[in-house]
Amino acid sequence: MPRNAMLEVKGGDITGTVRGFLEKLLEKKAVDALLVPVEVPSKKNVVQTMVTDIAQLADVSPLAPVMPVNTAKIISSVTKVAASTKKVGVILRSCELRALVEMVKLKQADMNNIVTIGIDCFGTYSVTDYAVFSQEHDTPAGEYLKKAASGTDTLLRPACKICQYPYPLTADMTIGLFGLPIEKEILVHSGTKEGDQVFEALGLDGEADPAKRDEALSALKSERQKLKEEFLAQVQQEAGGLDNMLSVLSACVACHNCRIACPICYCRECLLDSPTFVEWEAEKYLDWASRKGALRLPADSLLFHLVRMNHMGASCVACGLCEDACPNSIAVYKLFCLAGSRVQETFEYTPGRSADDELPLTAFKEEEFKGFEK
Amino acid sequence: MNSKDKPDSALVIGAGIAGIKAALELAELGHRVYLCDRKTHIGGTLLQLDRWFPDDHCGMCKVLPIFSRDRSSQYCLRRGLVHHNIEILSATEITGVEGEAGNFAVSTATRSSGIHPDLCIGCGKCSEVCPVEVDEEFNQGLGKRKAAYLANPTALAKTYTIDAQHCTRCRACEEVCPTKAINLDMQTSENTLSVGAIILSTGFDEFDAQAASQYGYKRFPNVITSLELERLLSGSGPTRGSLLRPSDDKEPQSVAFLQCVGSRSLERNYCSSACCMYALKEAIMIKEKYPGTDVCIYFMDLRTAGKGYYRYFEKARDELGIRFVRCRVPRVMQNFKTHDVIFSALGEDGQPIQQQCDLIVLSVGQTPSAQFVQVSEMLGLQRNRWEFCRTRAFSSVESLRDGIFVCGSAAAPKDIADTLTEASAAAGNASLLLAAPGDMQGDDQQSGEQAEDMKAAVFICTCGEEITRALDTKELVSFSGQLAGVIHAGEVSHLCLPETLAQVQTKIRDMGATHVIAAGCSALTGQKLFGNLPLEIVNIREGLAWVHQDNRSAATRKARKLISMALARLRYARPSRTVQSSIVSAKGLVIGGGASGLSAALRIAEHGHQVELVERSGEVGGKLRSIHSTLEGEDSRALLDDLLKRVSENPLITVHTETVVEHISGHAGAFYAKLQGSDSEPYELDAGAVVIATGADEGTTTQYLYGQNERIITQTELEERLAAGQMDPQQLNSLVMIQCVGSMEAERPYCSRVCCAQALKNALQLKERNPDIQIYILYRELMSYGFMEEYYTRAREQGIVFIRYEPDKKPVVEAAEEKLSVSVNDPVLGGAFSLSPDLLVLSTGVVPADNSVLAGMLDIDVTEDGFFKEAEVKFRPVDVIKDGIFVCGLAHSPRNIQEALVQAQAAAERASLILSRGSLVSGQSVSEVNETWCSGCELCVQACPYGARVKDADKGVALVVEALCQGCGACVSACPNKAAKLRQFTDRQILAALDEAL
Repeated sequence: MPRNAMLEVKGGDITGTVRGFLEKLLEKKAVDALLVPVEVPSKKNVVQTMVTDIAQLADVSPLAPVMPVNTAKIISSVTKVAASTKKVGVILRSCELRALVEMVKLKQADMNNIVTIGIDCFGTYSVTDYAVFSQEHDTPAGEYLKKAASGTDTLLRPACKICQYPYPLTADMTIGLFGLPIEKEILVHSGTKEGDQVFEALGLDGEADPAKRDEALSALKSERQKLKEEFLAQVQQEAGGLDNMLSVLSACVACHNCRIACPICYCRECLLDSPTFVEWEAEKYLDWASRKGALRLPADSLLFHLVRMNHMGASCVACGLCEDACPNSIAVYKLFCLAGSRVQETFEYTPGRSADDELPLTAFKEEEFKGFEK
Repeated sequence: MNSKDKPDSALVIGAGIAGIKAALELAELGHRVYLCDRKTHIGGTLLQLDRWFPDDHCGMCKVLPIFSRDRSSQYCLRRGLVHHNIEILSATEITGVEGEAGNFAVSTATRSSGIHPDLCIGCGKCSEVCPVEVDEEFNQGLGKRKAAYLANPTALAKTYTIDAQHCTRCRACEEVCPTKAINLDMQTSENTLSVGAIILSTGFDEFDAQAASQYGYKRFPNVITSLELERLLSGSGPTRGSLLRPSDDKEPQSVAFLQCVGSRSLERNYCSSACCMYALKEAIMIKEKYPGTDVCIYFMDLRTAGKGYYRYFEKARDELGIRFVRCRVPRVMQNFKTHDVIFSALGEDGQPIQQQCDLIVLSVGQTPSAQFVQVSEMLGLQRNRWEFCRTRAFSSVESLRDGIFVCGSAAAPKDIADTLTEASAAAGNASLLLAAPGDMQGDDQQSGEQAEDMKAAVFICTCGEEITRALDTKELVSFSGQLAGVIHAGEVSHLCLPETLAQVQTKIRDMGATHVIAAGCSALTGQKLFGNLPLEIVNIREGLAWVHQDNRSAATRKARKLISMALARLRYARPSRTVQSSIVSAKGLVIGGGASGLSAALRIAEHGHQVELVERSGEVGGKLRSIHSTLEGEDSRALLDDLLKRVSENPLITVHTETVVEHISGHAGAFYAKLQGSDSEPYELDAGAVVIATGADEGTTTQYLYGQNERIITQTELEERLAAGQMDPQQLNSLVMIQCVGSMEAERPYCSRVCCAQALKNALQLKERNPDIQIYILYRELMSYGFMEEYYTRAREQGIVFIRYEPDKKPVVEAAEEKLSVSVNDPVLGGAFSLSPDLLVLSTGVVPADNSVLAGMLDIDVTEDGFFKEAEVKFRPVDVIKDGIFVCGLAHSPRNIQEALVQAQAAAERASLILSRGSLVSGQSVSEVNETWCSGCELCVQACPYGARVKDADKGVALVVEALCQGCGACVSACPNKAAKLRQFTDRQILAALDEAL
């Protein structure tokens, strides 16, 4: 049975309300630690921080619209070597949570003792936009929420504008914002046994009606669906085909930042960082060049993106951090979103939907793709 | 006699799939094997078939060795077989046998095939000039061949042969043969083999349908046999796979299959066991290719009594729309103008059926092979009334003469799965009589050295003019000579001839070549031609000269590319190394102490290995304890006593009763298990192989008022009461049995296989003790396969009434006071029938135990029906895909005691094959892990079908269990970071070869 409760927002301070909730988690020992976004002293950014002392939650800012690193990557580094023996509550946006589910399938993270607290997400700004925005407002998170609710936020990253899953899919607990009078109250929802335990510990139950949120979500979903289709059609036109793709990627300096930002790219040392594809005898390069009369160099820049696309396509959660990481503003996200969507449609696979969905690469079905045989 | 004098070799007579399997089992145990066949090639009946039920594909190659696989050829068995320990004696007959078990002297006579196999280059010129044309056996006479011909057109070695019977000695072939391989003065050479055991795998002869004149076979062109249909549907057949009827080469719009041709008749009152299923398969093949064709199977009982068979029938009926009509007394006529055939019969209700159709297929049965009859005379074996081999009680692979074993259809009609199970069991029996093999490992220990600079020698075969006709070999030589790293390039005339090979080998040695490229024909494949030097074979004959005869310059260009690709692969080849091995724990673990488990444990112990046997309950014996006799009247109590005695007396066997397997993990050679007894400390053990013999349960039911009335009991309860004397048949006036209670229904869509025989057994016993008792058996399909048919006949002769019911019109049982009433719809009489029996007996079938826990621990699969899943339904019937684990008895599928025992022997044999080795040796081509690049995502672990990849928990990276790796490369495809690699197929090699190709 899903359980719901409303948290009263006092004086319109939504961040304060969430902070209160988080403090209670530590206070009531529902968790031993929290991994949450905390504002840096300059207030120009927030960073994920592991907090065990309630006092350190003073600058927690879970609603600030910025995501410098996909938290799934952080949980992977925290739990990969050995699972956590103490309960850790983690605040996650939907794309972070979906990436985390994929990481778990790929054995790069261990969910043992991890309590996921998903938040409804109106979208995020790039780190640079946020740094400016945060200086222009006293309470940047509150200001952003006002704008977001009106649906006219122009600063949102492209990935967020068309995000299909702005709400957490598999969280133990969800902090619900959509469709609610968030100046007055916000929703806390439990979706799992772990969530229920938190409800018990905090004595949370009460009157709550999530219907309004559901309504708002379904309206948002159909709107986003339309936006995404238009977006993909446009990308197809701009970047479809080898020539277009080559010109989109011509600015690539092979820094591989996109790979580092990607929450799904999990190899601890990437083959594409190795000399395998670039260090050959000069004779080889000349030979390749002479076959067609010309050879673009570095020889592996297209290959790098194609390989990554091939590896990540099925699990790409469309968080868009790859594009943010590009020093030359290449539309990496656009390419990956298009390729990922097609692959995922083909395999009827939604990354992050459920830990029980098998990865398409290892799911063997005797009868599939009949249409492809002909 | 001193045991040192015992031969360590065995003779296998008959090189069909049963003989091949038995020979491979023995060879893998390290014994020498003579595999002889009267034909000029191996493969038997299976060469003519393309795919099998119930999975509709071919898996013949799955019988090839898993371990030390480099000692055997690794290609399709249709193309031939090469194994280090097997000597194939083709065109060979047995002429006499002397001696006894453990030491036979067998004299053989080998016919010359008229063409020297070492000299024949397969050019086919002899066949071209041969003036004689006769029916081609390979295509069941649907095509023609010459007297000089290729007996197995699918073989890799295209070795021609002369049909001495039809050859007119015109000698045209002798003149035209470019290698002077033909000698028409065919001699027979005689030889004597010293062997410790003999296995007969002589198969069956197809029933000659001409003998049953009512079918019009050979009189009407559009009446064909099932094997002829197989040839018509085969891509290697006379029509290249198009189904064209013989009279006018038109695609038939309607095809009728007639079942039981030559089976279940007065003259041959047995069921051929395989025909219902192969007819289903052929019907499906037709329907899949020609969905519009009407396909109907006319039958008496549809015997789908094997694993997965009933589901296969349902697929045929429900998904493909194949029609099924029950009938008897079939006759075939034809319209002499159109050659359409007219089929008539009596329907089940006695009404005549008539159908005109375009093609009739006769499902011909299995009859004893003439060869078997002849050989059995010589060996002094006893035959049963149908001339099949008589075997011992509870051991269907032992003839009545010590040291001589049978497998496959020599002893009874069988399908492939049962045949191969017997082949393993027979090999295990034979092995016990042989001296310990001298050569257990013997795998070539290859050197890890690699010369710094490649010095490659390239030999280009002209094959007489065969290759030079299509491409310029001279140019190829000068091209190759200029390639970097090549120190020699030259033409040879026939590289495959022993003489040429010897010359080439000397040359290689003299010039100190480090690598070899041999450009020639496919016959060079799989041969160790040049010792251990890295070798690439380039096929420039079949794959090039034959297909590009019209464009010489393009063909030459392609040959150049192929040679430079081969050179690139060699250049980046990594040095071969000592093949890896993992040490084996020499203990066997048998889980389950029923008849199968006991029998498997005994056999493993007989091979000299320690066995730990785990039984959940308080005593061993399992279901065998509730079986009091068999349908054939054999004493199953004596069997139980014998098994118990031998197990308790065997010092190598430790029995743990009231014990469960709490944990088990590991892989072939190295399992680790933790056993938990009811009141003892956990017991830990290592084992090299695991046999699962956990059995199954009798079904329970709430149907037909079971449990509500004491007059309603199960078949097993009846048997127990009869045996215990708790029931007096004299007190019974009438009794009804209902079959298929819970079987072949939506919940359990499989036949429980044992219930019909059990019903017949109990009914006949009741009749014997009280002939006046009225017995009615209400059934759906009477599964009296094989020789059980006679008991079905006997039951009817004794007045037992068989009434068939449809699943949607089940009998209705009512109980009022003292009386039971059973009403059933009788399709023969066409109305409801009401019976008032004293006793109602329900055949509740076999249900799998909860196998999921054990399967989960071992990481192996169960079938949709809940039984353990074998590696390959037909060709590895007792192996689990994860090596080192074997399954037998009811844990595998429903089967009777004899069948379970033979399976147990087979499983034990397969397990011993691992336990007998000090270490498991993998092939050269195994996968490897680059630990720097591995992130431990386990995609490869999931992708590996052989369980050869596991995660190293400490390092967090994947690990290869090399002995299990079959070099398939699935891990390489799955790994996103190239951390999974395959030796001999490295990226460097493939990229370099691609570069040369482009």
